[in-house]
Amino acid sequence: MTDERVALISEISEVLETVTNKTIELKPGMNIVNDLGLDSIAVMNFCMALEDRFDISIPLHDMASVVTVDDLASTVETLRSNA
Amino acid sequence: MAILDKFSGLAARYEQLKASGGDPFSIQFDDIISSVEGVVKGKRTLLFGTNNYLGLTFDPLSMERSIDAIRKHGTGTTGSRIANGSYREHEKLERELADFYGREHCMVFSTGYQANLAMISTLVGKDDHLVIDADSHASIYDASRLGHAPVVRFRHNNPEDLAKRLARLKDHPGEKLIVVEGIYSMLGDTAPLKEFVDVKREFGAYLMVDEAHSMGVLGQRGRGLAEREGVEDDVDFVVGTFSKSLASVGGFCVSSVEGFDILRLAARPYMFTASLPPAIIASTLSALETLRNEPQRRAKLRANSRRFYNGLKDAGFTVGPEANPIVAVILNDPGLATMFWKRLVDEGMYLNLALPPATPNSSAFLRSSVSAAHTEEHIDFAIELMTRVGREFGILPEAPDYSNVTPFPRVSAERLSARAATAPARRREADVGAGMA
Repeated sequence: MTDERVALISEISEVLETVTNKTIELKPGMNIVNDLGLDSIAVMNFCMALEDRFDISIPLHDMASVVTVDDLASTVETLRSNA
Repeated sequence: MAILDKFSGLAARYEQLKASGGDPFSIQFDDIISSVEGVVKGKRTLLFGTNNYLGLTFDPLSMERSIDAIRKHGTGTTGSRIANGSYREHEKLERELADFYGREHCMVFSTGYQANLAMISTLVGKDDHLVIDADSHASIYDASRLGHAPVVRFRHNNPEDLAKRLARLKDHPGEKLIVVEGIYSMLGDTAPLKEFVDVKREFGAYLMVDEAHSMGVLGQRGRGLAEREGVEDDVDFVVGTFSKSLASVGGFCVSSVEGFDILRLAARPYMFTASLPPAIIASTLSALETLRNEPQRRAKLRANSRRFYNGLKDAGFTVGPEANPIVAVILNDPGLATMFWKRLVDEGMYLNLALPPATPNSSAFLRSSVSAAHTEEHIDFAIELMTRVGREFGILPEAPDYSNVTPFPRVSAERLSARAATAPARRREADVGAGMA
């Protein structure tokens, strides 16, 4: 994993903490719904917080194909480079 | 059996709720006596959870016309307007609604839910963007899943946040449709529509307002929030329902956007479901006439809403941000809220219990809707009952001791006796003035 990816995942962890008010250390292979215990509303709120942190637009259907933390990091990276 | 396994978590939560003694999902009214009174377990019960804003469900003229329509045209249309054709009355209802809103076009739907489903899922396509308030009604979320447009949410009632999100989409091609609600159905708050209109103009988006809970409630003529805020020209689509102020069932969308009628051949929730039956169209037309001709109902509704909202607020409850006909008492503990709700039903008051995950921050709401058909006595009974139970449950502080204070002038004696008739249960002295705020 590149340093950039490590830094991005740690930044995503910070965003998640603002949504759940819990300290969470994200690992690339974690499943966002099952391992993090996020319900559908929490996922949507997480999505909104990510949009603000990275100044990107993540349409809700893009989140549907995201399963792991690594998938999410890739999605954020792609959207950022398109912006 | 296995196919339902995925609901085991939900089933367990429901069992827990039932075990606590309060099951808001299976309450049954043995009888409905009037717009605001029913019978629950043999007990006469005041209804504060109906959305029957103008109190028209028993309007004699609407009932007569409805019965007459059944005699003349039968009980159902038995098909969709696309496959089986329209009745003349479908078109009459559409013309009347378009006229009421001062718009060119109208489509009616079999429910308000379907109006949102049809309009939102069809107006924006895969190359457009749908931009919705985060606290939108389920019908708006479901529409976003039925359609093909990418969906972006903005923070509830936050025009700056909307602007920020539209700015991110600026270089994306396609149209943007913003969807907001006139009055939000859980907390009773209104959208900051003037500010939303400014944002809409800045980014060249379309704006849809769902006036389900504000039609017949807000605005000089009862057209809703857009009328009250003076921004109707900037609202491209108004959707609404017949199942609240108009006291029947069904939904509509009005608009002056050119070419609107093509949606009749594109919106699946319009095309593939049975059309409204004659009895419903007749009573809806009649209720719309009453809504237009009797503004005093709106005035009474506003007065009732303020009385109830202020009464609960003064008693010390945490209520929503605005005195609208939807009045929510916010409680932190869902278990306590369920017991509170059950107690109110046992004592003859019905309202809605809203539990997480339908509510934000794991809170629970005791959600009421006020009607123009409520009397001041009804409202005062409800305030007094909720205050008494609130104190008993430790949600409100104990009643202050007024024994060394000059009592209220005896003018309230009449009100006292009126209450005694409806509320024989024990009453605390401090409640006497609750309704006078």
